Amino acid sequence: MFELLESCLRLSTPLLFAAIGGFFCERSGVATICLEGVMLTSAWSAAVVTYYTQNPWLGTLAGLLTGGFTMSLHALLVIFARADQIVSGVAVNLLAAGVTPFLNKIFFSSPTNSPAIAIEHRFHAISIPILSEIPLVGRIFFSQLPLVYLALILPFAAHFIAYKTKWGLRLLAAGDAPEALQSLGGDVKRTRFIFLFIGGLLCSLGGTFLSISHSSQFTRDMTAGRGFIALAALIFGKWRPLPTLFACLFFGFADSLQIRLQSAEWLTGNFPVQFIQATPYLITLLVLVGFMGKSRPPLSIGKEFK
Amino acid sequence: MNRLKPLLFPFCGFMIALFICTLILVAAGERYSILLESFYNTFFTHFGLGYALFYSTPLVFTGLSVAVAARCGLFNIGAEGQLYIASVALTFVATHLLLPIPLAIPLAIFAAMLGGGFWGGLAGFLKARMGSHEVIVTILLNFIAYSLTDYSILYLFRNPEVQNPESLEIFQSYRLPLLSDLSALVGLETFSTTPVNVTLFFAVLCAFLVHFFLFSTEKGFEVRAVGFNPKASKFNHISVEKNTILAFVIAGALTAGVAVNEIMGHQHKLIQGFSVEYGFTGIAVALLARNNPIGILFSAFLFGSLHNATREMEFMSEKVTKELSFILQALMIGFVASERVISEVLSRRGKKHV
Repeated sequence: MFELLESCLRLSTPLLFAAIGGFFCERSGVATICLEGVMLTSAWSAAVVTYYTQNPWLGTLAGLLTGGFTMSLHALLVIFARADQIVSGVAVNLLAAGVTPFLNKIFFSSPTNSPAIAIEHRFHAISIPILSEIPLVGRIFFSQLPLVYLALILPFAAHFIAYKTKWGLRLLAAGDAPEALQSLGGDVKRTRFIFLFIGGLLCSLGGTFLSISHSSQFTRDMTAGRGFIALAALIFGKWRPLPTLFACLFFGFADSLQIRLQSAEWLTGNFPVQFIQATPYLITLLVLVGFMGKSRPPLSIGKEFK
Repeated sequence: MNRLKPLLFPFCGFMIALFICTLILVAAGERYSILLESFYNTFFTHFGLGYALFYSTPLVFTGLSVAVAARCGLFNIGAEGQLYIASVALTFVATHLLLPIPLAIPLAIFAAMLGGGFWGGLAGFLKARMGSHEVIVTILLNFIAYSLTDYSILYLFRNPEVQNPESLEIFQSYRLPLLSDLSALVGLETFSTTPVNVTLFFAVLCAFLVHFFLFSTEKGFEVRAVGFNPKASKFNHISVEKNTILAFVIAGALTAGVAVNEIMGHQHKLIQGFSVEYGFTGIAVALLARNNPIGILFSAFLFGSLHNATREMEFMSEKVTKELSFILQALMIGFVASERVISEVLSRRGKKHV
């Protein structure tokens, strides 16, 4: 049970980074279905740089730069080239799905995975003194990988920035009433670009988590739809950071349950493993469809701003 | 000339994407001519052309699938999942019912259309009735479809004699003739040893049928009206809900052609993960053809050849992977998507010089 909750937190982490990154992108008024691609490119470069430099911090930096760059491509296409936002997102996802195995083969002569990073060059769990000694809860919450802590703080920070600061006001205005923002002297395009970039950086932390914290290498398509599940979490959370936190934890829990069930002997004998593998997607779909209620997207999302 | 003008831009996009890819390949230490060589082999050998046509066939169907949805204002990223469900339905019929040819082939095609149409219709229903965004719904349905397919292969009709997960062979009466067999009948030797089969003719027929449906029938008009302006359609008593579901059912049913081409035409069995992203490439195919069914025939051939060319390059070079075609597609989609701004900039330039 404790292992289940522990792995739930770990599996929610990439979702949280992507969903909160997506929060900043979408609230600025740009539909962003390329979270998946941003995570994938950053996962790759983080794994490669960590492998060569043997330093996970440099790997994280590389991941941030790559992810930020990938999201900038989306931003350029959407904001300055006035491309359709969904179509541009598809292009970025395709680019990521193509570039990562292509480069991987050039570097390591295999398109499927990068070499494993030695265990001492990866991030490790940090136990917070005293707190981690609390029975049960201590191990789950206070003895985790560094990025897990950051991911759990992130929604609160995003909430504060979006609803309590001047910049947050601009973010919300760019998404809900771009004309109003402009008539008050704000620059809609610049605001959107900046927030897309910030969202890209956050999202790429999720990618680096996958390749150098949670596992020890890049594998082809290792994001496995997490960018889309994060997007579903954002919609489920009605485009607000705190409800999104719970949606991500819920989807992370579904994922960890799925992994647990796959190795449960009493189940695998009588129940096809394929159905267990499909559960996270199925649960996401059911939640999206059934329990959602009214979820209102940012008013100007999907529309270009001239 | 004016009719060709809308094709000019996508064509330039394709050329620029090829150029950028050549630069990438040269930067990776490849010889600059490799792209040309692979395209030469694709267009000027029986073997290359046969395979290019074989790869183009499913792309016609997925391109049409994306285009029909797009004409209704919907984005179908779910063709990949739909074609797998269609394959499962087809394989189930073709490994269980021993029928004579005149019954077998239409029934199998119908089963595949039912399967694909159901999976597409599900997305349409969720969009129309529940208001869920079709992009996320279809992506999630894709993942569920992969699992369902794996399950069906392993438990419904697995071939126990082989190690790899694949289905039993379909009955003889369900198999479609290869083009090389047909041409051998009249004493020609074309496309020998390539899997291009009569499904190619179905694909061309389907493109014309879809064109007829969209532009010459009342239902097709309604579908397009909803895509063009949902509010105006509503006021004119055209149901947005019904047409959303209809468009998605048709989109899903069209992917049945992929299953027919692969299973009845080529492999004669359902192999795990056979689709080389036909569903996703369909997006690029439709975009390049501007959702015009006849144009899709050409853009599908372009992407089919491209796929074959990247496969050839994979054989010729140590460094290239077949994912290169994703990069090409992405570049092209990006270029075509930013068409308006580019043409604005170009026309502004033109005026200054005058």
